[in-house]
Amino acid sequence: MHTALPALGVRLRRVPLSVAFVSIIFLMVVLLAIFAPWIAPADPNKQTLLARLKPPGFELRGVTYWLGTDDLGRDLLSRTIHGAGVSLSVAVLSVVVSTLVGVTLGMVAGWFRGKIEIIVMRLVDIMMSIPAILLAVLTVAVLGPGFLNLVLVLGLTRWPRYTRVAYAQTLQISNLPFIKASELAGAGAARILFHHVLPNIAGPILIVATAEFGLMILMEAGLSFLGLGIQPPAASWGSIMSVGRQYLERAWWIVAFPGTCLFLLVFSVNVLGDWLRDQFDPRSRSR
Amino acid sequence: MNGTKNVLEIRDVAVHFGGRSGLLSGTGPVVKAVNGVDLRIGHAETVALVGESGCGKSTLSNTIVGLQAPASGSVRINGEEVVGAGKKKLNDIRRKVQMIFQDPALSLDPRSTVGATIAEPMIVRGVASGKELKARVATLLQQVGLRAEHADRYPHQFSGGQRQRIVIARALALEPDLVICDEPVSALDVSVRAQILNLLVALQKRTGVSYLFVSHDLGVVRHICDRVVVMYLGRFVEMADRDTFFANPKHPYTKALMSAVPEADPVVQRSKERLILSGELPSPANIPSGCAFHTRCPLATEICSRERPELTPRADGARVACHHA
Repeated sequence: MHTALPALGVRLRRVPLSVAFVSIIFLMVVLLAIFAPWIAPADPNKQTLLARLKPPGFELRGVTYWLGTDDLGRDLLSRTIHGAGVSLSVAVLSVVVSTLVGVTLGMVAGWFRGKIEIIVMRLVDIMMSIPAILLAVLTVAVLGPGFLNLVLVLGLTRWPRYTRVAYAQTLQISNLPFIKASELAGAGAARILFHHVLPNIAGPILIVATAEFGLMILMEAGLSFLGLGIQPPAASWGSIMSVGRQYLERAWWIVAFPGTCLFLLVFSVNVLGDWLRDQFDPRSRSR
Repeated sequence: MNGTKNVLEIRDVAVHFGGRSGLLSGTGPVVKAVNGVDLRIGHAETVALVGESGCGKSTLSNTIVGLQAPASGSVRINGEEVVGAGKKKLNDIRRKVQMIFQDPALSLDPRSTVGATIAEPMIVRGVASGKELKARVATLLQQVGLRAEHADRYPHQFSGGQRQRIVIARALALEPDLVICDEPVSALDVSVRAQILNLLVALQKRTGVSYLFVSHDLGVVRHICDRVVVMYLGRFVEMADRDTFFANPKHPYTKALMSAVPEADPVVQRSKERLILSGELPSPANIPSGCAFHTRCPLATEICSRERPELTPRADGARVACHHA
């Protein structure tokens, strides 16, 4: 029944320039993350005390530090390349976790109503009223720091946002006649939610997810700054920047380069998200 | 199917809303949307349900298809009781009743292809799968005047009339005995209304399906229905065969509805005696005493506010609930 694939090929040839541009940026970040050990010119954790806080282009004993060095004389270019993987995977995984949890709860609350709706939506209110960073700090304090815990903490503190959107959209959709028609056809709740509700609420959720993606990278940076995220000496863009913040007046480059990468990544994810949402909507396709 | 068995038989059905006390809201008034109605629909029969908005037409049709539980009464489909039936049995019975909705733009999932939409009832019920399913979808599309290759397209690629054809194809997928048509043409252009109505008639001839045709357009009703039922504030006020109904309407409310139908001939239209009702439809939460219509009725006398008239048979076979008509 679904013949969307050949049509996709035709549509890809009409990709707007901006989307093509941000896709290249996004792909580059992904490739950097995957091939970091081969691309990075130096060991990201090797400290050279003679080369502390040196500006971009600094040379020492035949080694060129293209993006300069940090407070321990580590090569900033190599650290930024290695940090891409950490930042990207924390953001992607935590967005996936919170989307799964949030959308499921939101759809269930909006479809079944009654007690489950009250419980879920009050829980959402409670979660939203606790400062996210406080909750994250508490959870990490209990679970201990580390990559997996970081993903879980971010994922499980950010789901209420998705729940609100999924809930409101589900309420709206479930009153439409085509849902009634499915019920009359004999479809159960699971089929209606996955076949009819989810595809119709995917657009707004995708927008929330792309907005959250950037926020996740920043949250990771914040938690790493507090010593609750990625543990030193491992690099993430967040941890590099939080170190660089202390030396902002003397060594602007420590914050500037990971910051630029972060900006480009979040920007391209947002543009891509907008474009993808349009592509998922059959109404926006040509006849 | 034998001719004496009714496809649909509802007895003394009442549907009430509200009245439950909320946490903060207190006890709300009970809205009596449907208030004790009886109706039978035979094999291959088309019955029109007529009335103004808010009279309980949609509530009644939701009750028949099982989307709304009645407060009391009995709904039988092919002789099987729906009210109080278990979930599995209810599903089996319901298979024989389908629905066509008013707005074809909203009754098709915009994210599903037409083929997937039509196939859904058959997939869910396990009627067909694979190649057979595809063939049945193609047949259904052809039956409603579309082409088999339309199955791969999305609803937005079709016009309103075509979309309503798709909705009809989905409704017929399980070979139902009764299809409830909830204002099936009122959202369509006048030019395609006749096409859809003719399609419904042709399908009835071929399959023997019965229709409950909910409408407020008497012109459409006259075109396709065998019997007409007029509803006012949750009760039936007049029931008659089509010809009797249009030749000799009796209830003052029916007459008022009739006089509101515009005539094609301007001379006739100008000379037509208009019966204009005063006031609004009273709230179903606060139905007037006696005959519910007495607040707006030109014939109302003192008895009308005291005693509620029952549906009584008249000489020409019509049944009317009125003290004076």
